[in-house]
Amino acid sequence: MLEIRELTRRFGDHTAVDRVSFEVPDGLMTGFVGANGAGKTTTMRMVMGVLGIDGGEVLWHGRPITRLDRRAFGYMPEERGLYPKQPVLDQLVYLAQLKGMARAAARARVLELLERFGLADRARDHVEKLSLGNQQRAQIIASVLPTPAALVLDEPFSGLDPVAVDSMVDLLREHTREGVPVLFSSHQLDLVERVCDRLVVLARGRCVAAGTVTELRETGVPRFRLVVGGDAGWVRDQRGLAVLDLDGSTALVEVREPGAEQHVLAEATRRGDVHEFVRVRPALSEIYREATA
Amino acid sequence: MSTLHNPRRAWLLVTRRELVSRITDRTFLVGTVLMVAMLVGFIGFTAWQDERTDRAVLGATPDAVEMARAITDAAPQVDDKLAVRMVELDDESAARAALEDDEVDAWLHPVDGGWVLTSESSEQDALTAAARVVVRQVVVAGNAASAGTTIETLEAGSAVTTDFLRGDAERAAVAEAVGFVFVFLFYLAALVFGMQLASSVIEEKQSRIVEIIAAAIPLRHLLAGKVLGNTALALLQLLVYLVVGLVGLSFTSYRSYVPELSGPAVWFLAFFLAGFIALACLWAVAGSLASRTEDLQATSTPLTMLMLVMFFGGVSLDGRGQVVASFVPPVSAVVMPKRILAGGVEWWEPLLALGLLAAFALATVWIGERLYRRALLQTGGRVSLRQAWSAAE
Repeated sequence: MLEIRELTRRFGDHTAVDRVSFEVPDGLMTGFVGANGAGKTTTMRMVMGVLGIDGGEVLWHGRPITRLDRRAFGYMPEERGLYPKQPVLDQLVYLAQLKGMARAAARARVLELLERFGLADRARDHVEKLSLGNQQRAQIIASVLPTPAALVLDEPFSGLDPVAVDSMVDLLREHTREGVPVLFSSHQLDLVERVCDRLVVLARGRCVAAGTVTELRETGVPRFRLVVGGDAGWVRDQRGLAVLDLDGSTALVEVREPGAEQHVLAEATRRGDVHEFVRVRPALSEIYREATA
Repeated sequence: MSTLHNPRRAWLLVTRRELVSRITDRTFLVGTVLMVAMLVGFIGFTAWQDERTDRAVLGATPDAVEMARAITDAAPQVDDKLAVRMVELDDESAARAALEDDEVDAWLHPVDGGWVLTSESSEQDALTAAARVVVRQVVVAGNAASAGTTIETLEAGSAVTTDFLRGDAERAAVAEAVGFVFVFLFYLAALVFGMQLASSVIEEKQSRIVEIIAAAIPLRHLLAGKVLGNTALALLQLLVYLVVGLVGLSFTSYRSYVPELSGPAVWFLAFFLAGFIALACLWAVAGSLASRTEDLQATSTPLTMLMLVMFFGGVSLDGRGQVVASFVPPVSAVVMPKRILAGGVEWWEPLLALGLLAAFALATVWIGERLYRRALLQTGGRVSLRQAWSAAE
């Protein structure tokens, strides 16, 4: 497990990351969301040791992380590229060797991954000759070399077409099944909701929410929607509730005192037909908007 | 993971990548081949110029045939690169016609109190010089005979031979010329390879591949690999130029200088190695301070100034200034080899200068590594030297 504890980074007077703490559990995909400038990239660079830490620490398996630990991590920086004038195969083998793989093993592994991402016939092309999507695929391959102990990916899905997103997700799932913790940042909330097991929301350098998607949707004040046979205007007079929306026979209420929803339901059945009474869970985008507001 | 190697060898991987990616680069290959071709061409031209014989056709009217024959016979002894052929002409008008039709290069005829050599323009220097010597010999010998004596008697005791305290002029000229070549080669290599090194640092920084590398290996390995790779390439290229130059020289009339030049050439390589490593580190820093290729112009200005100082210092310094500069790094890298070429250097002087240069190189490596490491991972705009020096990592 990768643990981020009270991590802090200042640039001059500006505190880019302010005592951020969260965990990236083994075998789970943790989505890292937040507006531009919220501090996601800064946090990830500190986790990877390419940026100094002003306060706090990063723990790997419960002890402070070392350079050798990070060497086994797969990392994909933001706004990335590869050497434009070197063949794809050569530089992926080079990067794998820098991470400590033997040349022959690195070559075999790279060829296997190129095959899988449909780049086998482009192996000898210079990177600059590839389309942006294919360059992105090469980047992904670079990050999973050799077999990563953890994956830290900054915007891994940006610029990928839906098919490539799927094969990327499959690849990541393969690693999480092996117990590898994965942290990735993204702006595509629908994708995050679909793909990730846990979520960390960052706003203005602080961690404002963290948990599984279900947990996050359960937190906050419970809301219920009530649809009755007649006019629902009477709910305004009920105690312990706030009416968020009222439209003829439909009302959206927020529970302020625990148990108040039960009284509303009892009152509604007493007054006549109840067509619908349901807990409303906010969409991820709503949680995100509220958390980062 | 047990299959992973120790990162201690990482710099070697970087060095190899630098070497392979440059050697397979067409611009580099074409540049080197072009330079060698130019070198060979220049030396070949010099050799040809050197060896070729002037062929001149001397026209003579009947009254000058005897004298012209004397010139034709004696010309090779006066000038070993001159061959003269004689053509007999009937009279003055025939001679003028032959000159205008370029059938003869010059026309010899006697006048009152001497001889005249008429030609179209003043291009027949070698023929004129030979004619002067021969005519004088023949006439003086005739005069001496009519006075009842001989040339030998008249000329006895009049010979002046030369003796030099400090080498001869040709040797000094060769030393000066080769010294200029040394300075120029150093300047060219340091500038070309330095620029290339700086742009490859920017390329890595701009593409953020440096972040992937930084997460895998210590950045000083990356710096060491890049500096060593480029130094090896520069040295290799220089070696090719020097060998081609020296071998070429042995085909010219300067061949006697080749053994004499080999010693200084080896010293030059040693000074080049130490000087280039120091400058390469500074070039890497210049690259790491920039965020985009466009910034390199600004971040490398102090360095290009330094290179110009080295170039002009190397070319123009002499006397006491040259002696002092030959110990001051990094200028000593070009000035000392020049002094060694000129001769008159004590055995300890090059060693001291090389030691100082090596110490300077170590200092730049140390300072450069710190600046490079700190500036490299800062993104967004140019990084100032002060920022880089004091930045937290």
